Amino acid sequence: MTGAPNSGSAIHVDALSKRYGRTLALDGVSFDVGDNELFALLGPNGAGKTTLMHILCTILRPDSGVALIGGFDVVKQPLAARRRLGIVFQEPSLDDRLTVHENLNLHGLVFGVPRKLRRQRIEEMLALVELTEWADKRARTLSSGMKRRLEIARALIHDSEIMLLDEPTAGLDAQTRDRIWSYIGRLRNERQITVLVTTHYIEEVEGFDRVCVVDHGKVLALDTPEALKRDCGQQLLRIVPKGEDNRQEILTRYADRLAGEAGESILLTSDDAFVEALLAEYGGRIRSLAIEVPSLETVFLSLTGRELRDQAAGARESTLAFGKRGGEHTR
Amino acid sequence: MTSAGPTAPTARRSPLLIQLGGLYGIWLREVKRAIRDRGQLIGGISRPILWVLILGIGLNPYFRGEVYGEVTFVVPFTYLQFIFPAVVALNIMFTSVQSAVSVIWDREFGFLREVLVSPMSRGMVLLGKVLGGATVAVFHGCLVLLLARFADVPLTWLDVLKALGLMAMLAFALTSLGVVIANRIRSFEGFGVFSNAVILPLYFTSSSIFPIDPSLSRAQTRVVYPDWLVTIVEYNPLTYAVDALRGVLINYNQFDPRLGIAIMAIFGVVLFAIALFDFRRA
Repeated sequence: MTGAPNSGSAIHVDALSKRYGRTLALDGVSFDVGDNELFALLGPNGAGKTTLMHILCTILRPDSGVALIGGFDVVKQPLAARRRLGIVFQEPSLDDRLTVHENLNLHGLVFGVPRKLRRQRIEEMLALVELTEWADKRARTLSSGMKRRLEIARALIHDSEIMLLDEPTAGLDAQTRDRIWSYIGRLRNERQITVLVTTHYIEEVEGFDRVCVVDHGKVLALDTPEALKRDCGQQLLRIVPKGEDNRQEILTRYADRLAGEAGESILLTSDDAFVEALLAEYGGRIRSLAIEVPSLETVFLSLTGRELRDQAAGARESTLAFGKRGGEHTR
Repeated sequence: MTSAGPTAPTARRSPLLIQLGGLYGIWLREVKRAIRDRGQLIGGISRPILWVLILGIGLNPYFRGEVYGEVTFVVPFTYLQFIFPAVVALNIMFTSVQSAVSVIWDREFGFLREVLVSPMSRGMVLLGKVLGGATVAVFHGCLVLLLARFADVPLTWLDVLKALGLMAMLAFALTSLGVVIANRIRSFEGFGVFSNAVILPLYFTSSSIFPIDPSLSRAQTRVVYPDWLVTIVEYNPLTYAVDALRGVLINYNQFDPRLGIAIMAIFGVVLFAIALFDFRRA
């Protein structure tokens, strides 16, 4: 297969592995994303989502396994794959000193979009993300939500058929997040486009076609949100025992039901009969009790055994902070 | 995905045209960024003024020897004239390295990633970056040329044209050098480190602010100056670049002017190749 893409799936990932030193970031991940599908990769930070994204956008080589973008191998035919990709990275990647329009124009030039089409696309995409009035403002003057919108517009200037969005809504307020999803929805009505999104906001993936839950570099579940809730959705009981001794007792007694621990509270898999039994025995020794009906949140908890964790600041962040403090010749 | 529909207009363009368009885009970005960086522009203007007008005029009277009451210049030029071509090189050096070091920021602020996932080849991305930086550096070199009349350096258009050629070569080599250094640096402590550790030592040991007397023989030179200093000056490639520039601007050469051109060309190509090798690997 030299030029013609394999028909079928827009993104094909087969047994992909990547190791960083002793950590296995990706451990034999396989899945397919169909044409025009809205596909979510859901997982806590450090689950391997971004590693997977970097492999898909051809800037990282996998140790083993195959990844195809529109039928093109990301390792063997990276240029052909890139031409089909529209990417929004987790970290902002705009040039702050250029204007909104210049940022889009640069992207068009770099992706070889002819002048006439470039102009037309820039106008269309600015309109889509409602930034037309900001076209001549420097990118640095935009709010973080507007920057994100601009990056989405940018990813669509060339003939992108497959959009990869890495945590597109992280750190944004609820209103901006809604807007971003509405742009993506509108876009999918106007243009044939496959969208792969990574996120750790569970509530956002309800409207997706399919959701893939990953953790520790492995695919834990892959289905429509409804099916996931039906199959993996386990009713959970969240209890906070009074005192340490009660806590230990409950933990040993129901060790087989333990679904996770979060701070003071204990999560147990449960059903109606179990709740009654537990209340009869420990009713007086529990400070609080909540029944969590199956939602994607509980699906996630029962699959990964934990809640979504937060990220620690690394070396990169500290250099970034230097720049933000006004380090020389940065922006 | 298999339908040709929306992909047609881009796919029809020749790959070379796409690469050249992208090259232009990256070059344009570098130039625009530099123009909008006030700090860089202020440095580019104040540096030549300080060096030519203050240092040059200040040291002018001391740049001569007295033999039996007769005043002679060590070289047949005033200090102001002597230092003028070197200041052109200095301004180019600062600006080139400064532009190149922005590679670090491109990496940190994600711009680099944005171009690395484009269909542009790495070589073209780097070439655009280096050409952009070199263009700005040559522009800053021209700012010094504007001071020519204050330094008593008469220039014909042909001189300026020749000088521009040499300046472009120098700027290209130095920008590549900057990229090579920037690629080897993981965290960035500020431009001051570069200016003190790379630019100024190179500049001071390039026979730019003092001549190595051409009337003296090799052995005599090593008597007048300490041995190590002469050695450093002779091994500093910038010496020959400054010398070539001096040949064009004030018609004075300590070495064969062709040597300067050859050295700049070789260093330009070699440094760019190293930069490209690092860039591909990263």
